[in-house]
Amino acid sequence: MCSESEDAFTFEVEFMAEGDNFAAFNSRALVEMVGGVTDEALKATRIKQFLSVLAGRYFNWAGRKSLFTLHLGIKCCAIEMAAAATPRFDGDRFGVLFRSSPRQSDVLLINGPISKKFADKVVRLWEQMPEPKYCIAMGECAISGGPYFQSYNILEGVDTVIPVDVYIPGCPPRPEALIDGFGLLREKIIRIGAAPSAERASDKPVIVGED
Amino acid sequence: MGPQHPMTHGLWTLRVKVDGETVVDTEAELGYIHRGVEKICEARDFTQITPYCDRLCYVSAMTWANSYIYAAEDLLEADVPARAEYIRLISAEIQRLASHLMWLGAFGPDIGNLTLMTWCMRDREMFLDLLQELGGSRMHYNYPRIGGVKRDMPIGFADRVIAKTKLFEKRLDEYEMMLDESTIWLVRLQGVGYSTAESMVDAGVSGPNVRAAGVNYDVRWAHPYSVYDEIDWEPSVEKPTSVKGADCYDRYRVRMEEMRQSCRMVLDALNKIPGGKNTNYANGDEMIYTKAPTRAPEGATGFSNYECTRGASQFYIKGGGEGRGKNPYRVSIRSPMFLTIPYVAKTMIGYKIADIPAIMGSFDPCIGETDR
Amino acid sequence: MVGSITPEQNATAAEACLAAINDRFGGSGIETSVLNHSNAKKYAFVRIVCPPQHWIAVSKWMKYDLDVNYCSMVTGTHFPDGSPERGWEVAYHFLRQPVRNQTPNTCTVHDVEGLSGMDIPMEFEVLIPLPHGDSPTVPSIQSIWVGADWNEKETWDLVGIKFEGHVNMHRVLNPNDSPEGFHPLQKQHKLRYHDYNEMYDDPQGFMRKPADEGRVK
Repeated sequence: MCSESEDAFTFEVEFMAEGDNFAAFNSRALVEMVGGVTDEALKATRIKQFLSVLAGRYFNWAGRKSLFTLHLGIKCCAIEMAAAATPRFDGDRFGVLFRSSPRQSDVLLINGPISKKFADKVVRLWEQMPEPKYCIAMGECAISGGPYFQSYNILEGVDTVIPVDVYIPGCPPRPEALIDGFGLLREKIIRIGAAPSAERASDKPVIVGED
Repeated sequence: MGPQHPMTHGLWTLRVKVDGETVVDTEAELGYIHRGVEKICEARDFTQITPYCDRLCYVSAMTWANSYIYAAEDLLEADVPARAEYIRLISAEIQRLASHLMWLGAFGPDIGNLTLMTWCMRDREMFLDLLQELGGSRMHYNYPRIGGVKRDMPIGFADRVIAKTKLFEKRLDEYEMMLDESTIWLVRLQGVGYSTAESMVDAGVSGPNVRAAGVNYDVRWAHPYSVYDEIDWEPSVEKPTSVKGADCYDRYRVRMEEMRQSCRMVLDALNKIPGGKNTNYANGDEMIYTKAPTRAPEGATGFSNYECTRGASQFYIKGGGEGRGKNPYRVSIRSPMFLTIPYVAKTMIGYKIADIPAIMGSFDPCIGETDR
Repeated sequence: MVGSITPEQNATAAEACLAAINDRFGGSGIETSVLNHSNAKKYAFVRIVCPPQHWIAVSKWMKYDLDVNYCSMVTGTHFPDGSPERGWEVAYHFLRQPVRNQTPNTCTVHDVEGLSGMDIPMEFEVLIPLPHGDSPTVPSIQSIWVGADWNEKETWDLVGIKFEGHVNMHRVLNPNDSPEGFHPLQKQHKLRYHDYNEMYDDPQGFMRKPADEGRVK
């Protein structure tokens, strides 16, 4: 509630007590009661189950057809990732769009070796992404450290710090392999639905090229 | 502007202190993809190091592999047949074309011109196909060998090069028409990011960035290493428009002109190559490869000074590792971008935040070589 | 056709530099020589072996009297098994480039035959051997060439050679929270899986023994 004093430029704001409402009558109890009754009714008639399956399938379809990938270019595989977005290979027709902010992306595509300096930033980016989120390890460096597996500064694969869904081998993998990786990710999304990423770490890994 | 950023062309942090919209101070932080390549190379044979050098600057892999090979040839005292030198030159210049196209394709979106990305990558695919015929892969070829090259040009390669290069020269006209007549492009690039030649050289910047300031210095004629003195070319130099030095527009023009010169070099080299452009010698034939010693004596050193796409790259190799000589004792890699990036961070002071991508992009950073 | 620096220009420039250095610093422990590369056109370059106490004087003279304007590379090497006076070595590479600021709307014309004297590009290599010990120190040339700044930071970061007088030394490639005294390119630090290196000599595995069964390469 705010009131105006004689001086038109100052406002006085009263801080509300907890639980107070702007409305003339307190509708919170009404909403809770109506919501609870509806929920019980829907559960009883199995409509809720039906609706949630339908919605789940719909969101699953929508999500896997438009995988927004984080614009993260680490090393050489990033050039092949950029090439996959260009007219010759055209990832955009598969719905793969690059977003600058991790808050707005579904897929974290790791395309290069992860150094000790960058490891906590990768974890931070991963944690900033909202569920459902998936991770693709592209290239040998992200899978297992690659040619730098002996290095003092490179982690042996990004799956030491975040759970990975699809592995795309190659050094660098061709853009066609990257697009195939996205296809395999789509198949995996059909399988796992919206299972949270923390529980997916022990899944059998999906590797491009493995039949 | 942290490691994950669409503008930074690689993984590095630029801390910017601003006053309103004006940049007051900057600080660059590198090292996010430091792989310790110099240490790893101490445990590899000389032929095994070539793939690591491809991956240093991944956008222009062939020039870095060649740069390393010249240093290894200095260390091991290997001779190179003339035809192999010509093939190395052709592959390096095609790689320079591909690299400058990648630069332009990344620079355009920085300025706001998103179509440039699709146009340049489309043309870059032409040259990547050519390099794939030589080296086998689109990006990391592992193609030059100590004492020559791995395999000869395939039959018909020369015709494809000529056709694609001539097509590309017309495409360059299209790019210049689109960009030089665009007010937005000109306004965003001209008058931004001045840097004088002497300050650049003092800071260790080299290559097209210095040639944009009106100075004709190119490692290919100053410390000649391949058959550049036998073919027809000119270093591309831009006249700076101000006493404050070169601006982003000059650096962009230098690279466009370099692309034309590279086309010219490739066409001329194909005419002058010993053995003809439509012959194919078998792998290991003496026309393209001379067997080189594989061990370096204790205390020997090799040094190469090479004009990479982003500046002068140098390798310094000390031989006699592990008492056996098959591995080098120390490989030291000098990347032009390692000194350019701190210099550019200081060049940005006094301009607006929106000028940061323009200035950074015009110097063509590639973090792979910076953070070896 | 663009002219390149001819071998004669290169040789005369190298000899002139050698004479100038010996003139100025001859007999004070600084050995200079002109050597030829074994690659490409086999051109000459000037190598100076300088003890650390004379390094600042030599570097200032090189910059101001010999026109060496480009500090290119600083390499540190650790020789744990080397001779007593060469436990560490710092190798500097410089270039002399004919670069001057241009007045607006002009550029240098390519005229290689016209280059003479101090305008001819030349490569310099300066080697500074340091005795064994835990803290090899070399005077810093940060104030003489700007390009030496980050090169010295990298050398300290990776090899551990201290640069006396260097302002604002910090880690540049290794993480900032690396342990104090961790300099990876020193020879006592081994690579991960170091004992698998022997197997690199035998990639097809012809010399594997029964005891190697189950061992991952």
